[in-house]
Amino acid sequence: MSEKSVHVSLSDNLSDLDLLGLTKIQRFIYNIIHFFKGIPSFFVAVFNAIVKGIGNLFKAIGEEFSDIIQTFKDGDWKTRTSFAVMGFGSISRGQVLRGLLFLVFEVVFIVYMFVAGGHWLGKLKTLGDTMASTVYDPKLDTYVRVNGDDSFKCLLYGVLTVIFIIAFIYTWRLNVKQAKVSQDLVARGKKLSSVKDDVSSLLDEQFHKTLLALPLTGIIVFTVLPLIFMILVAFTNYDGAHDGYSNLFTWAGMENFNSLFSLNVGSNNLSLAFGEILSWTLMWAFFATFTNYFLGMFVALMINKKGIKFKKLWRGILVLTSAVPQFISLLYVSKMFSASGLVNGLLINQGIVDLSGIIRFWEDPTLARIMVILINIWVGIPYLMLITTGILMNIPADLYESAKIDGASAVQQFFKITLPYMLFVTGPYLLTSFIGNINNFNVIYLLTGGGPDNIKLLTSAGAAGDTDLLITWLFKITTGAESKYYLASVIGIMIFLVVATLSLIVYNVIPSTKNEEDYQ
Amino acid sequence: MAENKRHMGMKAKNRLSNTLIYILLIIISIVWLIPFVFLVCESFRVESTYQVGYVIPHQWGIDNYVNLFTKTDFPVWFKNTFIIGLFVAVIQTIIVLSMSYTLSRLRFKGRKFLMNVMLILGMFPGFLTMIILYKVLSWFNLTGANSVPGLILVYVASSGMGYYVSKGFFDTISKSLDEAARVDGATRFQVFTKIIMPLAKPIVIYTILTAFMAPWGDFMFAKYIAHATSAGMNVAVGLQNMISTPQSLSANYTMFCAGGVIVAIPITILFMSLQKYYVEGVTGGAVKG
Amino acid sequence: MAEVILKDVKKVYDNNVVAVQDFNLHIADKEFIVFVGPSGCGKSTTLRMIAGLEEISSGELYIDGELVNDLQPKDRDISMVFQNYALYPHMTVFENIAFPLRLRKTPNDEVFAKVKEVSEILGITEYLNRKPRALSGGQRQRVAIGRAMVRNPKVFLMDEPLSNLDAKLRNQMRAEIILLRKRIDTTFVYVTHDQTEAMTLGDRIVIMKDGFIQQVGTPDEVFDWPDNLFVAEFIGAPKMNTFNAELVEEGGKYYVTPFGSKIEVTGEKGEMLKDKNIGSKPVTLGVRPEHISLAKDNEEGFDVTIQVSEMMGSELHLHTLTDDGTALVVRVQTVSLTAEERAKMKSGEKIRITFSGKVMHFFDQETEKNILR
Repeated sequence: MSEKSVHVSLSDNLSDLDLLGLTKIQRFIYNIIHFFKGIPSFFVAVFNAIVKGIGNLFKAIGEEFSDIIQTFKDGDWKTRTSFAVMGFGSISRGQVLRGLLFLVFEVVFIVYMFVAGGHWLGKLKTLGDTMASTVYDPKLDTYVRVNGDDSFKCLLYGVLTVIFIIAFIYTWRLNVKQAKVSQDLVARGKKLSSVKDDVSSLLDEQFHKTLLALPLTGIIVFTVLPLIFMILVAFTNYDGAHDGYSNLFTWAGMENFNSLFSLNVGSNNLSLAFGEILSWTLMWAFFATFTNYFLGMFVALMINKKGIKFKKLWRGILVLTSAVPQFISLLYVSKMFSASGLVNGLLINQGIVDLSGIIRFWEDPTLARIMVILINIWVGIPYLMLITTGILMNIPADLYESAKIDGASAVQQFFKITLPYMLFVTGPYLLTSFIGNINNFNVIYLLTGGGPDNIKLLTSAGAAGDTDLLITWLFKITTGAESKYYLASVIGIMIFLVVATLSLIVYNVIPSTKNEEDYQ
Repeated sequence: MAENKRHMGMKAKNRLSNTLIYILLIIISIVWLIPFVFLVCESFRVESTYQVGYVIPHQWGIDNYVNLFTKTDFPVWFKNTFIIGLFVAVIQTIIVLSMSYTLSRLRFKGRKFLMNVMLILGMFPGFLTMIILYKVLSWFNLTGANSVPGLILVYVASSGMGYYVSKGFFDTISKSLDEAARVDGATRFQVFTKIIMPLAKPIVIYTILTAFMAPWGDFMFAKYIAHATSAGMNVAVGLQNMISTPQSLSANYTMFCAGGVIVAIPITILFMSLQKYYVEGVTGGAVKG
Repeated sequence: MAEVILKDVKKVYDNNVVAVQDFNLHIADKEFIVFVGPSGCGKSTTLRMIAGLEEISSGELYIDGELVNDLQPKDRDISMVFQNYALYPHMTVFENIAFPLRLRKTPNDEVFAKVKEVSEILGITEYLNRKPRALSGGQRQRVAIGRAMVRNPKVFLMDEPLSNLDAKLRNQMRAEIILLRKRIDTTFVYVTHDQTEAMTLGDRIVIMKDGFIQQVGTPDEVFDWPDNLFVAEFIGAPKMNTFNAELVEEGGKYYVTPFGSKIEVTGEKGEMLKDKNIGSKPVTLGVRPEHISLAKDNEEGFDVTIQVSEMMGSELHLHTLTDDGTALVVRVQTVSLTAEERAKMKSGEKIRITFSGKVMHFFDQETEKNILR
C-alpha cells in the first residue's frame, strides 16, 4: 500500500491518477461508496429534469400562443377564417381534400360534443349518480330493471371525450399552422402541393408516417388508452361489488394507495402482504436473472472450449429442450414434483422414503422457492447458452492471444477478458431480463400457482402464497372472487414504479451503459 | 527435458479438464432431456390415468391420444391456437418490421420521444390493461367462446412495442446503402422494398417464428379472455384446465402428457428447422435489448 | 454536365454543432473540384448537402441553374461513389450497375447496352454475374464507379472513394480516375483527406478547416501562394517548416533572420514586400523542406543537428533541430550529394543549411494570414 493512498479519503472524489494508485479493495470500496453517493444526486438530477421539462412545456405552450396570435395578425382573410372554419385556408387555396378533412373533423367534433360529449364530460366528476333500480311494470305484471348510470361507461367515455378534445385542439392548431404555411408559400410565389404530391410523399419524405400508422394506432388504442383508464381506476373503488353497472363506483382519491402503505395492521394487512410479496419478487428476479446468466455462460464456455467434440450435439440437446413450449415443460415438471407425483413415486418405489416421508416440494415455503429458482434455471439456461455463445464468438481472438503472451492463465483470462466483455455487452440485456423476471407470470403460475398459500398474506382481496410475485398476485386479485380492480390497478402502478426506478438507476449510475464505444 | 515435461503436464491437465467437461455435459444433457423422455413415456401408458411411481408403462398404447381427440375439446384448442398463431405471425410481423425499420433507419421529428414513450409504456405490466380490454371486448362479443379474434387483437395490437430485436438487426445494415439507393433514384419506399427487405431475411423469419410461437405458450391473456369457456381456450389454457383440480388430475394426467407431446412436436420441429435464423436473431438483436 | 453554385451554405446539426458555414463556391461546368481537409472539417457534410443526403440549414444550392435545396436526392440528377462503396449485397454486379436505370424504368435492352458499355470501360465484364462479396476491394470500387456513371449524371460526387484501398491500389485507381474523367466529361466533386489526391486530381482545390473554406485555388496556387498558415502546412509533403523570424527592412531590401543568419528576400516576393511597403516586423516564416539546401562555404546559413535521417530512395528526409531547439525537416536529393556529403547525413551530425530567398512564405503572427495576399 503506497504512502499516499493512506492519506486520501475514499469518500472524496478522486482524480483518475489517484484512483489508479489505490489497491483493488480500496478501489472496490471507492466504487461502492460512490455508487451510493451518486444515488441522491441522481434523484436530484431526475427531479431537476422533470422540473425543467415542465418549465419547457409551459414555455412551449406560451410560444404556441404567441405564434397563434402572430398568425392571426399577419394572416389574410383566408387564414383568419380558418381560425373558425377549419381547413378554409387550404380549401380556398386549392388544397381541397386536405381542407375538407379538417372541416369534416371539425363538424364531427362539434356534433359529437353536442350529442354525447357534453353528457359524458358532466358524468366524469361523479362517475354517475343514478343507481339502477327495479320498478313494477303493471303491463307485464313483473319487476323490470331501469338502467341507471354505468360508472364504467362514465369513466371510459369521459376519458375518451377528454382525449377527443385534446385531439381537436391539436388538429385546430395544425390547421392554423397549415393556413399560415400555405399563405407564406403563395406569397413567395410557390406552388402548393397537390393531392398527388401528398400521396407520393407518403412513400418518400413522409414514409415514416405510412409505416407508423398501423403500429401506433394499435398501441394507442390497446395500450395507451387502457393504461390511462386503469391508472384512473386506481383512484376509484371499482371492484366486483361496485361494478358500475349494478352498483355505481366513484372516486376514492388516494385512499387505495394509503391502505397499501398504512402501517395500521388492524383492519387489513394489505401493506404487510404487499411488502412481503414485493421483497420476494425482487429476490426472485435477482436469483432468477443471475443464476441463469452465470450458469448459462458457464455451459456455453464448456461447450465452446477448444478440443471439446460434438459441440453441435451438446448445443442441439439444449436448444431442443427450449424449443418445447414452456407451458408444457413447466406444467409437467410441476406435476412431476407434486406430493403424489413421479419423483415421490419413484422415491417410494425405490424404497428411499416411505409414504410418510415424501418430499412436499410445493408445500414448504422455502423449498418451493428454491424449487422455483432451480426449475427456472432448467428452463432458462438453453436460451442464455445461445446468447452467450454468440457473444463469446465475437470476442476478438487476439485479446486472448495477447493475454496468453502476457502470461494469463485460463482462469485469469476468464476474469480479465471474457467476463468484463460479457458484462459490458449484455448489460442492457441483464436489465431487460431482470424486469422480465419481475413480471415472469408463466414460471410461477404454472409451477406453483403462487402457492403454498400463506395465512399472513391473506387480505381482503383474497389469498396469496409464498411464491406469488406481484404480477401473479395482480392476476389473482383481478380474477378472484372479490375482483378488486382498483387494487390490481394500484399494484400495476407499483410494479411500474419499481421497474422505472430500477431502469433509471441502471442507465444513469452504472457506467457501462454510457461508454458504448469501449469495446467496439 | 524440463520443457518437454511441462508440455506433457499441460497436455495431461488439459485432458483431465476435458474429461471433466464431458462428464458435466453428459449430466447436463441427461437432466435437460429426462423430463421429456418421462413425458413421452407416460403419454403412452394405458393401465392408469393418474400419476404413478414408475416411468416405463406396463402396457403401451395410444389410448391417451385417441381419447384426447375424441373425448376432450383438444382439437378445438389446437385449432384455436393454430389460427391465432397464423394471424399473429402475419400481422405482428408487418407491424414489428414497420416499427423497427422506421425507428432504425428513418429520421423524423419526435423519433426519440416516441422511443422513450414506448420504453415507459413497456414498464407497465401488460396484464394491467386486460381488465378494461376484457370488458370492451366482451361488448363486441370477442371473449369466452369467441375469444380467438379477441386474442388476435390483443396480441397484435401492441406488438409494435416489441421492436427492439429487429431494430438491432436493422441498425447493423450500413446506412450508406440507403443513401446510395436514394442517390441512385429510389424513394424511401423503394429503399425499403428493394434494398433493405431482401437483406432482412433472417430477421423476417425470426419475427414470423417468434410471433407464431408466442400464442402457443401464452397463458395469462388467454386464460383471462377465454374465462372458463372451453371452446375459446388455447392449448395452454385447455391443457392446464384439464389437470387443474386433484380429481381432474387423476383422471386426465396421462392424457395431458399426450397433449403436451402433440403440441411440442410441431413447434419443436419448426423451431429446430429455423434454428439458424432464431440464433441469428437472438444473438444479433437481443443483446442490445 | 452542369455548374454547381453554393451560396452562403450553412449546416447546423440538431445538437447545435455547426459543421459548415459561409460556404460560397461556384463550380464550373465540367470542372473537377476537390474538397480537402482534416477529418471533421465539413468537407463530407458539404458533399452530402450537394447530394441531398443532409438538409441545408441555410443558404442556397443551385445545380444547373435550378435551386435544389428542397429536392430529394433522386430528383437532383447526381450520382455518388461512397467510401465503403455501398454496393447492394443481394444483387449481382450487373444488377448493381443497372439499379439506377431500373428505377427509371429504362427499357431492358437499353439497360443491357449501357451496363455493357460501362463495364467494358471499367474492365469488369467478367464479374457481372458475381455478388459484391466475391470481389476484391479494387473491383468493388470499379463497380461503385460504374453504378455512378451508368446514367450520365449532371454531377458526379465522390466521397473519399480511395481511402479503403491499400496504398498501391490507391495510386493505380487515382490514375484511372484521371483517365476516366476524360471519358465521363462531367462536373466532379471529390472529397478526400489526402492532399496528394487533391493535388493530382483537382482542377481546383477547396481546402477546409472547422467548417470554413480556407482557400480555393488550382493546385499551383494553393501550393505556391497559400492564403494562410493552415493551407501552407496542409498542402505539400513533408509539410512546410514554419517558425518565428524577424522580417527586417534595410535600405529598400528585405531580410529575414532565422536562427542567427541573415537571408535576403529576393525575386517576386522581395518585389512584393517592397511594393506593399511592409516594413520591419516579426513574422511566421514558412519554408518547404525541398527548398532548404546545404549551405556552401561562402553562403549565409545556420547549423542544425540531424536527429533522424530517412532514406526515401531518390531523396533523404532529414529531421533536424536548430541550436535553439526548433524542429526543421530538410529534403535533399540524393543524386546531388557527393559520397562524402552522403556519409555525413547521419543522426547526431551537424550540418549547415540555408534556403533560397525566392521561396519563402510570410505569415502574420497574429492572424496567420499570408501577408503578401
